[in-house]
Amino acid sequence: KASGKYSDLSAQSLWLRDSYEESDGEDDGIEEIDQEEIFDLIRAIYDPEHPNTLEELRVVSAPQISVTSNHVNVEFTPTVPHCGMSTLIGLSIRVRLLRSLPNRFKVDIYVKPGSHQSEHAVNKQLNDKERVAAALENPVLLDTVEKCLSNVGAI
Amino acid sequence: MDIDLSHQIQQVAELPGHDDRAWHLAWNPTKFLLASCSADKSVRLYRYTSSDAGLKFDNIATIPTGHMKTVRAVAWSPSGKTLATASFDSNIGIWEQEENEDGAGEWECASTLEGHETECKSVAYSSTGTLLASCSRDKTVWIWEVHPDADFECMGVLMEHTQDVKCVAWHPSEEILASGSYDDTIKLYIDDPSDDWYCFSTLTGHTSTVWAIAWSPTGDYFASASDDKTVRVWKRVAQHKWVGVLILTGHERAVYSVSWGKGMGTGKGSLGWLGSAGGDGSVRVWELFEPEGAEVTVASPPRHKLIAHLPSTHGVHDANTVVWCPREGYEDVLATAGDDGFTRVWRIAPST
Repeated sequence: KASGKYSDLSAQSLWLRDSYEESDGEDDGIEEIDQEEIFDLIRAIYDPEHPNTLEELRVVSAPQISVTSNHVNVEFTPTVPHCGMSTLIGLSIRVRLLRSLPNRFKVDIYVKPGSHQSEHAVNKQLNDKERVAAALENPVLLDTVEKCLSNVGAI
Repeated sequence: MDIDLSHQIQQVAELPGHDDRAWHLAWNPTKFLLASCSADKSVRLYRYTSSDAGLKFDNIATIPTGHMKTVRAVAWSPSGKTLATASFDSNIGIWEQEENEDGAGEWECASTLEGHETECKSVAYSSTGTLLASCSRDKTVWIWEVHPDADFECMGVLMEHTQDVKCVAWHPSEEILASGSYDDTIKLYIDDPSDDWYCFSTLTGHTSTVWAIAWSPTGDYFASASDDKTVRVWKRVAQHKWVGVLILTGHERAVYSVSWGKGMGTGKGSLGWLGSAGGDGSVRVWELFEPEGAEVTVASPPRHKLIAHLPSTHGVHDANTVVWCPREGYEDVLATAGDDGFTRVWRIAPST
C-alpha cells in the first residue's frame, strides 16, 4: 500500500507542510480517504509502556474511526480505566495524523466513552490545540512521541 | 443564505512571512502598524498606508524575539511605543524601538518579565498603560505595575482559576480585568485600595474553555469566545455586576477569538460590530443594538443581527485571531491570523 507518501517524519513544522495531494502527482480532484486508510496510519503506533502496537493492544480499531470529506474522528480504548498514558497515546495519534493527512482535515480524538476514569479531562486536553502545540514544544514529550511513532512507516 | 446578509467581507491584504502558524495580532493604537506573532517565535511588524487604491501593507521589521518557544500573544501599550509578547517559554517580553533620526531603529528587548511557571498565553495593557496583566497554564493571572525605563513591579498574583488561564482583557476605561480559562469560567478583578487585587465575580455559562474576551467600546458589555462553539455577551447591570444576556451561535468548531469594534453601523442605538473567528476558519460579524421597547429592563439583551460571514478566511486552516482596526476612519477594517501562517486584512463592505 502507498506507505511512502504517508512517511513524513522529517517535517520541520508540525502544522505547515506540503500536502501530499500536491506531491503524489494524482489528479487535481480531492483524494478520498477512508476509515481503513486512517487505521493504517495509526495501527503501528507503539504503546508508550509496552513493546506492542496500538492495534495489537486493541487500543485502536477501524470501526472506531469515522471520516467525512474534511473531518476525522478517532476513538481509542485505553488498556485500563486508569491508564496514565492515555493522553500520550492520544497525542501520538494526533501527531501521526497531523503529519500524514492533507491539511483540510480537522481531527477530533476521544477515548471510548466509559473507558477511562478521567475521560473528560483526557478528551479536553487532546482537543485543545494550544495545549497540544505547547506539549510538542517540550523536547522530552516530543521525544517520547517520536519513539511511539518510530514504527509507523513500516506497514 | 449568506447572500441575504447586509455586508460582505472583502480581502484587503494578504501578509505571508511566518514559517509556522500565526497565533495573534495587535494593531498599534497610535501608529499605522500591525504586529503579528507566531509559533516560529518571531514578531512581524507591518506599516500600512492608505490611498485611493486602498490599504497597502509593508513588512518593515521582523523581531526574532529570542523567545525559546512559540510567541502566543502580542499587545501594544496605549502610547503605541511598547510591545509586549507572551511566550510558551513562560516569559513576557517587553520591546521598544531604539531611537534614531529616521525612526527606523531596531526593536530591542527592554525587559523580560519572569515569574510564570509554564506557558504564557495572553498579555494586556490597561487603558492608561500603567498596568500590565499576564496569564499562563500555571493557572495564575499576574498584575504588573508599569514604571519608567521598562521597570515592572508585580502587584498581585491571582490564583482564582482551577485550570489554564487562556486570556486576559482590561476594561476600556476602568481598572477592571477579565480573564477566561480552560476551567470554562470568566473571572473579573479589581484593586482593593486598602488591600490587594481580588476577584469580585465568577461568571459561568460556557460549557467549555473560554478562549478570548473582548470588551465593548463603551465598556458596558463584553463578549467571550468558547470551545463550546458559542460567543456569549455579558452586560453590566450594576457597578460590579455583569450577567450573561445573549448567546450567539453559528460557528461549527471552537471559537478562538472575538473582537468588538465601533463599526460603521448607522442603525439607531448601535453598540458596534462584534467579530468572531475560530476552528472552522470562518469569520462572523454581528451588529449589536441597545434593546428597545416597553419591556426593557436593565438585564435586557442587546438586539443582534448577523451582518457578514466568510467561511474560509485562511483556506482550510483555523483562524486564531480576529481584531478590528482601532483607528478612526478604519472602523470597517479587521485582520485575521491563521494556522496557515498568514495574516489577512479585510474590509466589511455593504453588499451591492
